[in-house]
Amino acid sequence: MDDRLTVKEAGVVLRSVSYVAGDTQILDDVSVHFRPGRFNVVLGPNGAGKSTLLRVATGLVPPTRGDVAYDGEPLAGFGSQRLARTRAVLSQHVDLAFPLPVADVVMMGRYPHYGRVPTAHDREIVDAALALVGMTERAGQPYSTLSGGEQQKVQLARVLAQIWTDDSDAAGAGSRFLFLDEPTSSLDVHYQLHLLDVARGLLEGRCTVVAILHDLNVAFRYGDHFVLLDGGCVAWNGERAGEIPLEVLERVFRVKARRIGGTDDEGPLLQFTL
Amino acid sequence: MTSSARQGNTGALVLLGVLLLLALVVSAAVGAFAFTPATMARYLAEGSGWLAPREGDALGRSVFLQLRLPRVLLSALTGAILGVSGTVMQGLFRNPIVEPGLAGTSAGAALGASLVFVLGGGTSALSAPLGSLAVPLMAFAGAFGATMLVYRVSATFGKVNVFTLLLAGIAVNAVCSAGTGFLSYIARDPQARNITFWNLGTFTTADWRGVSVVAVSFIVCFVLTLRDAKALNALMLGEDEAALLGMDPQRLIIRLLVLNTIMVATATAMVGVIAFVGLVVPHVLRMVRSSDYAFLLRGSALLGALLMVVVDVVARVIIPPAELPVGIITAVVGAPVFLYILLRQQRRGSAGYYG
Repeated sequence: MDDRLTVKEAGVVLRSVSYVAGDTQILDDVSVHFRPGRFNVVLGPNGAGKSTLLRVATGLVPPTRGDVAYDGEPLAGFGSQRLARTRAVLSQHVDLAFPLPVADVVMMGRYPHYGRVPTAHDREIVDAALALVGMTERAGQPYSTLSGGEQQKVQLARVLAQIWTDDSDAAGAGSRFLFLDEPTSSLDVHYQLHLLDVARGLLEGRCTVVAILHDLNVAFRYGDHFVLLDGGCVAWNGERAGEIPLEVLERVFRVKARRIGGTDDEGPLLQFTL
Repeated sequence: MTSSARQGNTGALVLLGVLLLLALVVSAAVGAFAFTPATMARYLAEGSGWLAPREGDALGRSVFLQLRLPRVLLSALTGAILGVSGTVMQGLFRNPIVEPGLAGTSAGAALGASLVFVLGGGTSALSAPLGSLAVPLMAFAGAFGATMLVYRVSATFGKVNVFTLLLAGIAVNAVCSAGTGFLSYIARDPQARNITFWNLGTFTTADWRGVSVVAVSFIVCFVLTLRDAKALNALMLGEDEAALLGMDPQRLIIRLLVLNTIMVATATAMVGVIAFVGLVVPHVLRMVRSSDYAFLLRGSALLGALLMVVVDVVARVIIPPAELPVGIITAVVGAPVFLYILLRQQRRGSAGYYG
């Protein structure tokens, strides 16, 4: 991989990360660097270790070997509260065990920021996050009555509220890290594009965005850094989707791939057959 | 949360508090001896030393101060404990059908306590080292063991399977009841009667010592539990999501299970097993107001106390001069609610039980 990786660099750095569960090696000496201001995409077939990579990168589980650093600071040194104020994760689908209004769900994103009672600032952020995903009118509605796509928008608002930065705390604001774990896998095409557009919008705030995406064509269009995982190892790592050799994609995903369009700018448009 | 919703929650809590006070007064007044509010106020003043005891009223005063008042307070405290316990356990198991009666907590506590009652007779090897704490400690041990067993069996990968939970609860409850039944079988007569009564719950044995033990354990555990209201909310999203919000779900679950078990074990050691209160109380609060734990915990303490005080009044007046075990009444009311929730959950699949 990239030998120049050091833990001093901005963004998320995984250095020689391995993860072993029982006697299965799920990640094997993975080194990647997700830079800020970019849409980093993790690709790979089922079982390649993408979700585990994300669990390690978000600090949910410690790596068996190797280390993870945000902006050069080892993740192990972050307290759980500071980590929760710094990085957020949007999962595939979140069910609520009990009914809560949408605004309460989004307010959970502010939990790491306030003690017992939310401040006016926390409320403003919740409103702003709801507005950003276009769910302001649904604020008082029970979460469980929303459609799957709307629920995912609310979850996006929640994770945005968790790592929200605005002018009022710009002085103390550090970097922010957003991870998306197959966020669009159960969404229709409208919600998919909307969600990815909102995530792309965060890049202007120098947020580091890392997404696991399944739809390769969508990934090529939105991503500007690609990590292709296969069997717990990095099979390809680079910035131009057009440079990923079709043979590598065909081998990793066990399909036949044919380029049917796309530009160098937008990335290739591929068609897959068995 | 919107501020109007929060004001509504506060209003609901105030209303519950007022109703509870009324119920306490009524419960203290009615029974084999009936007291007027004025008489009760005088007894209270006399009991606390504000007034000199009036001549010729010693019987009424001692019935009120030594029997009625502790009983009323014990029923309120027990109800509060069971209500809060149901709320906490439903949050931990992420499921609205869990309560201490179902998850083995109460039955385990009863088994632990009856072990001391039957085998412990004062100076046996079992209870001598523990002294007067033997009953609550053994109740705690039994309750914690049973609850952890049910939790471990039903929760895999942080998700609780409802059917495994029900079956594990049935199995653990059956073993505990069998143990309690066996102990009552081998016990000498007066103890046996105690145990049988226990399985249905009773407040007849209330005294000030019991009230103070239950009060202390409730207040301490409740205050500590309240601090985790936010964490319980976050747990609604699942263990991983709670961890990503900076919580430590594993520690949270153990901590709350311990606090919950202490409360339930202490109450059960005093009054026996009372089922379904912990199920009905949070369910009603969620239906009429909110699932926000900051509200739910406080509300379930108040509503649980209110419900239990009312049930105790009914138990005393329904077939005078005899008394109905309170557990019979809570089961008659609670079992249909339980079936209703179960049916709803079945129909809706795994998500959105109330939606």
